[in-house]
Amino acid sequence: MSILKIQDVTKVYEGKVTHRAVNQLSFEVENGEFLAVMGPSGSGKTTLLNMISTIDTPTSGEIIVNDIKPHKLKKNDLAYFRRRQLGFVFQDFNLLQMLTVEENIVLPLTLDDQNLETMETRLQYVTEQLGLEKILEKRPNEISGGQAQKTAIGRAIIHKPSLLLADEPTGNLDSKSSKDVLELLRRINKHENTTIVMVTHDPIAASYCDRVLFIKDGEYFNEIYKDNHRQTFFQAILNVLSLLGGHVGDFSTVRLP
Amino acid sequence: MTFRQFAFRNVIRNQRVYAAFFLSSVSSVMVFFIYSMLMFHPKVEDEFLREIAFQGMFGAEVILVLFTLFFLFYSMRAFLEARSKEFGILLQLGIEKRKLNKLILFETMIIGIAAIIVGIVFGYAFSKFFFMIVREILQIDSLPLYFSWKPFALTIGTFTSLFVIISSFSVMFIKDNNLVNLLRGYWRNEQIAKYSVWRGIAGLLLLTMAYVMAANINKAYLIVFVSLTPPFAMIGTYLFFTDSVPFILSRIRRHRKWYWHKYRIISLAKISSIMRENSRMFFISCMVSTLAFLAVGSLSSMSTFTHQYHQLNPLGMVYSSKIDNPYEKTHVSGLIEELEDKGLSYHLNKFDVKRQTSSNTQKTVKILTQSDINRLALLYSYPVVNLKPGEAMFLPYSMDSIDMLKKKNVETVLQENSIPLTINKVYPKVLFSPTELGTNVIVVSDEDFRLIKEPMVGANANQSTNHIFVFSVPEWTETKDIGQNLDALMTEAYMTNHENDLPFYFENSGLDYSFIRSTFALLLFIGLLAATVFFLASGSFIYFKLYTGLEEDKKQFDALRRMGITDKELRKIVNSQLIPQFFMPWGLAMFHSTFAFMALQVFWKGIADLSIIREIFLVLAGISCMQLCYFYLIRWRYLSHIRAI
Repeated sequence: MSILKIQDVTKVYEGKVTHRAVNQLSFEVENGEFLAVMGPSGSGKTTLLNMISTIDTPTSGEIIVNDIKPHKLKKNDLAYFRRRQLGFVFQDFNLLQMLTVEENIVLPLTLDDQNLETMETRLQYVTEQLGLEKILEKRPNEISGGQAQKTAIGRAIIHKPSLLLADEPTGNLDSKSSKDVLELLRRINKHENTTIVMVTHDPIAASYCDRVLFIKDGEYFNEIYKDNHRQTFFQAILNVLSLLGGHVGDFSTVRLP
Repeated sequence: MTFRQFAFRNVIRNQRVYAAFFLSSVSSVMVFFIYSMLMFHPKVEDEFLREIAFQGMFGAEVILVLFTLFFLFYSMRAFLEARSKEFGILLQLGIEKRKLNKLILFETMIIGIAAIIVGIVFGYAFSKFFFMIVREILQIDSLPLYFSWKPFALTIGTFTSLFVIISSFSVMFIKDNNLVNLLRGYWRNEQIAKYSVWRGIAGLLLLTMAYVMAANINKAYLIVFVSLTPPFAMIGTYLFFTDSVPFILSRIRRHRKWYWHKYRIISLAKISSIMRENSRMFFISCMVSTLAFLAVGSLSSMSTFTHQYHQLNPLGMVYSSKIDNPYEKTHVSGLIEELEDKGLSYHLNKFDVKRQTSSNTQKTVKILTQSDINRLALLYSYPVVNLKPGEAMFLPYSMDSIDMLKKKNVETVLQENSIPLTINKVYPKVLFSPTELGTNVIVVSDEDFRLIKEPMVGANANQSTNHIFVFSVPEWTETKDIGQNLDALMTEAYMTNHENDLPFYFENSGLDYSFIRSTFALLLFIGLLAATVFFLASGSFIYFKLYTGLEEDKKQFDALRRMGITDKELRKIVNSQLIPQFFMPWGLAMFHSTFAFMALQVFWKGIADLSIIREIFLVLAGISCMQLCYFYLIRWRYLSHIRAI
């Protein structure tokens, strides 16, 4: 059963120069799938993600999340939809500076007016999963980037969303933290059966996923599924990237001939 | 692009950020200039009012400059912090710190000079209007617009030096020793628990003590109260903003059940960080607002004094003369002529006043007859007196004295003529002011009055009897131009300390009234103008702070929006972070001044009989309305910035 359906979605930015960011794109994401979307800079990845997260509207086409068409919802219902169905992880964490780690994580539940017991049980469960028990009282500017991103992930999953969206979640992290975060995402995907859509530049990050979708200039280019071995999957990703031809990330030197 | 062009473009392209800064500078330059225009006005020079006007305006100007200094300094600092990324890039490109300071000096001077020019132009344009108001208040025939270099020089000199001082001090806040921190941008230093519990409690205690003292003030301990309350309130306020508020907020945040509730979690956290960052500015704006409230409140209460003036001085003009006064006839007929020239209807009553010594107090008592009082009473529709021989009645000199004399019951003998009197009544209205007749006045029956033949001990017949001419003028406020020659004679005698040698005494309620009224009205006007600048500036400061933190806030609200926050909740969060900034210093100032007025009320009771509650209420309500409008304006701007992605 597919949880996210993208049907012939087109996004055109009107302005002095009309720009077609996404063109006739269609794909589906199955329940419990971990999907990576890759493509060169300016290929429309972030536009796509913004449309899925409902903060941007498609010019034409339809996006269906969990049998709901969010773009047809009224303003308030849309807010409630985001608050209950979606979780979001940003490249630069976007934690609220004035809140502690604990408060940042629990925020979606608080906004939804859950009772204190539920909040505390969920908080305890999530922090255990993420290993953040020791820094709960700290402020976002007192913790490392890896911890900050884990906090952001905690915030994104605490309300058990049906879809977790991640925009370059490892973009600002060192390799050790990147690995931690990616393994965490995969574990959440497997154990909690959370569907994840991740936009990334990084072939290593993409190699943790079940499927990688490539787009170029806003159009579908290719997709590959993971095999048993992560190393060969990584190679396969690199192959497609070299075909794509754009400047993808920092991996131009290891591109195969 | 030369260096100067670079500085110039920096300002022009940051105009939206600089707008609030610029506008409040312009308004304070403008008001300062208008004050100076009046201060140096050649026409006011020979008036007696000039003294008061000059001093009032000088005081207002000093406060204005001090406040502007603080305001600009804080704004500048916040602005430089917000631009630290830009400075980081410049330093990385290899600019010297000296050159960077020069850049900032340039930029500040561009804005400063523009503000001075615009302020003076507007000030000059509005000063005619201002003079018209002052002319109305002072009831001067004309107060023409004039041109003199003095107000210009004062304004330009003061504000140029102000801007130079501010820009050279504020550059010290750019820390160029750690470029990476600068480049990363202005990272708000949000340390939790930077307050001390003890200081927080001390702040609350000090404030409570100051309030209790102000509420229970009495004349016996006046000096203790007056010397202790202001410092207590001031230190208390400072500690309140730096320690008590964070302390209380962190206490609230411990109650998760209450705190973890919808957007409350964001609002409260946001408020605590705002409070921590701006505590000093809140303290200053709270103290300045208190000062402004007090000034405006007490001045407007002074104008109440003039409303009650007529009640205390119902008689239009009073000419009192000693029996041997040779000018009596000329003076009185002169006054009559002047009144007729003006076409004012009047009623002239002549009184005889005799002086005797009362056996009861051994003091001089002034005596009037019942029929004289009754003639006056008929004119004003006041109650008529009906006394039998041997009875007497007190004539009160003020509203308070009516109540006081009511309780008195005196048996006395007029010593010189051995006339026994029982004084057990008081006339229910005030007729003569204490300056006209003194405080010890009684009314006796006509029979008893005729019996007084012997003059007072130590005085001859001439000194012991006075004639009083009372001109009752229904349009009493119109009489201010009448008898100016007499007034001039009186003033001269007072100046040379010869007032006791004058054979007459002249009092013109119309003139006195117009004098008192215009003095207070002028001071009130000056105070209001200054208060307006304060409110404008402290509002602009909040706007400025919001604007410099806008990028950060936008990011936060973007994250919140993705998390699914409704428009209504967003507005509520913005409300909850704007309301404390606007209304907390101001609310506390309101509280301060309420208590201060309670204390002042005790004072006023001693000086003049008046209650100031109604006036104070009106003033506070007016200022609240202004503040509310400003709040909505700024909220509207802020929301539209936040909503624009």
